[in-house]
Amino acid sequence: MSAIILLSILGVVLLYMGLGNNKRLLAPVGILGLAGAGALSFLDRRPLPAWGHGAMAFDDLSVAFCVAMAGITLLLFVFGSDYYSRTQENVAEHYALLVFSLTGAFLLTSYQNLLMLFLGIEVLSIPLYILAGGKKRSYRSSEAGFKYFLLGSFATAFFLMGIALVYGMAGSFDLKIIGDYATANAEHPAALFLVGMFFIAVGLGFKVAAVPFHFWSPDVYEGAPTIITAFMSTVVKMGSFAAVYRLIGVHITALPLAVERTLWAITILTLLIGNLIALRQSHFKRLMAYSSIAHTGFLLMAVLSGDALAGRALFYYTLTYALATVGLFVVFTLAKRAANGDEHIRIFRGMFKSKPWLAAATLIMLLSLAGIPPTAGFLAKYQVFVLAVQNGYVWATLFAAVMAVLGIYYYLKVIRETFTPNEEGAVLQLNATNTAVIAVCGIGALLLGVWPMGLI
Amino acid sequence: MNDIVTAIRTVPLEHYVMLSFVLFSIGMAGAMFRRNTIIVLMCLELMFNSVNLLLTAFSAHHGDPGGQVFVFFIMLVAAAEVTVGLAIVVMMKRNVDSVDINQLNRMRG
Repeated sequence: MSAIILLSILGVVLLYMGLGNNKRLLAPVGILGLAGAGALSFLDRRPLPAWGHGAMAFDDLSVAFCVAMAGITLLLFVFGSDYYSRTQENVAEHYALLVFSLTGAFLLTSYQNLLMLFLGIEVLSIPLYILAGGKKRSYRSSEAGFKYFLLGSFATAFFLMGIALVYGMAGSFDLKIIGDYATANAEHPAALFLVGMFFIAVGLGFKVAAVPFHFWSPDVYEGAPTIITAFMSTVVKMGSFAAVYRLIGVHITALPLAVERTLWAITILTLLIGNLIALRQSHFKRLMAYSSIAHTGFLLMAVLSGDALAGRALFYYTLTYALATVGLFVVFTLAKRAANGDEHIRIFRGMFKSKPWLAAATLIMLLSLAGIPPTAGFLAKYQVFVLAVQNGYVWATLFAAVMAVLGIYYYLKVIRETFTPNEEGAVLQLNATNTAVIAVCGIGALLLGVWPMGLI
Repeated sequence: MNDIVTAIRTVPLEHYVMLSFVLFSIGMAGAMFRRNTIIVLMCLELMFNSVNLLLTAFSAHHGDPGGQVFVFFIMLVAAAEVTVGLAIVVMMKRNVDSVDINQLNRMRG
């Protein structure tokens, strides 16, 4: 809880720093604050108190998610000190909004009633609407911000309707009471409760970009500034999956049959559509968007397996996915700069010849996303498959495994470009901060796979 | 306060549910089919308010104030969202000189 207070203050401090002329100080102050927030949430872990009359409660899993999200945002701030050094506009707002959004993600890991869930989602999303449209002069950025805002609010309305109906049936916003109500009426759920759960599923499905509520994500990923795209595909994904797991993995375990079947259908569709459409993408950001949709499918499968260990598997999966994704977006930004703003995957060409270590890190991160041993991505996917098989979802697991193999193809496309020699073209420039971020991500993606440090 | 709750209770719950479903559907249809961004924002607001109505009715019928507290939070968040939304509409107007939704739909793939 003290971490959330610190983050709120940090956001305001960053905003005020924007008034002065000390643009160079923004990232260091932000990094210090984020490190503090991560440390505070770690130190607060015992005893694990409930806050605000049972509105929030931290457990080990939510502490782990909080620390990891603070860490990933910290990496993005280190990257941001270089990314934003080239923009002339005011950047204090960007840092501050990222911090505010992270505060919302913290709420999502530890809510105990639907009100905090709603507030968490909104505090997470509203800054992102602004950030996605952050390049004021760019048409594509405007389109991204506008689409994200419109579809996000639309989904929020559905989500709220779902909350209202569930409240009407269960008589409370408290997750324990709702969970008990769902268990007591598992055989014959009231129609309004069913509709409410469907609406909540629509709202959350939109946030995690599950098919058929995914159509916003490629456009928003493409149009938003790269650092924001990286934030959306990592921290936002971690936060919303922490929220989904807390809702249907921990509290409302006895889902009505119709809802559970629908969620499985969504999972299968997400795996299928995400991987299939990713196959024919050659624009790097859109490729990452569809790859993120495909990963959503695997994560949903872990949640729906209903295993007691699903939370740990989710955490490990999202962490490894986030590490690889952040690193790749940094590499992408550097390559894009060298190629004068081109975003096609051909900009990776010739990297092995000019910067072999960078190419090696890129290779590790792509292999981790594809799920090939010995990288962390392999262990993460393996873990999800084991959970699903143990709980009797053999066919779904087989299908997911086929999709995982299919997914290897489009990551290999990028790897091929990385190792193709290119005679002409500018050599990309690395500086110390970016090297540090890429090194942390690359080594993390490899190390977590070889030695998971008790995370699984 | 109790008078209001009693007054709300004089109407059966089903009527509130039907009314808010109708309002929600009108808002949804408008948000999906209207092309003017300002109208779309108004339709989103209508959807939020239908939820507010439903929450208030449920709250009164359950005799639990929690639902009405939630309504305040929804109003607050909806205000914040519309603020951001209008700012985005202004940015859009500057970039494409129109508030037509179709003008802002060029990315494909």
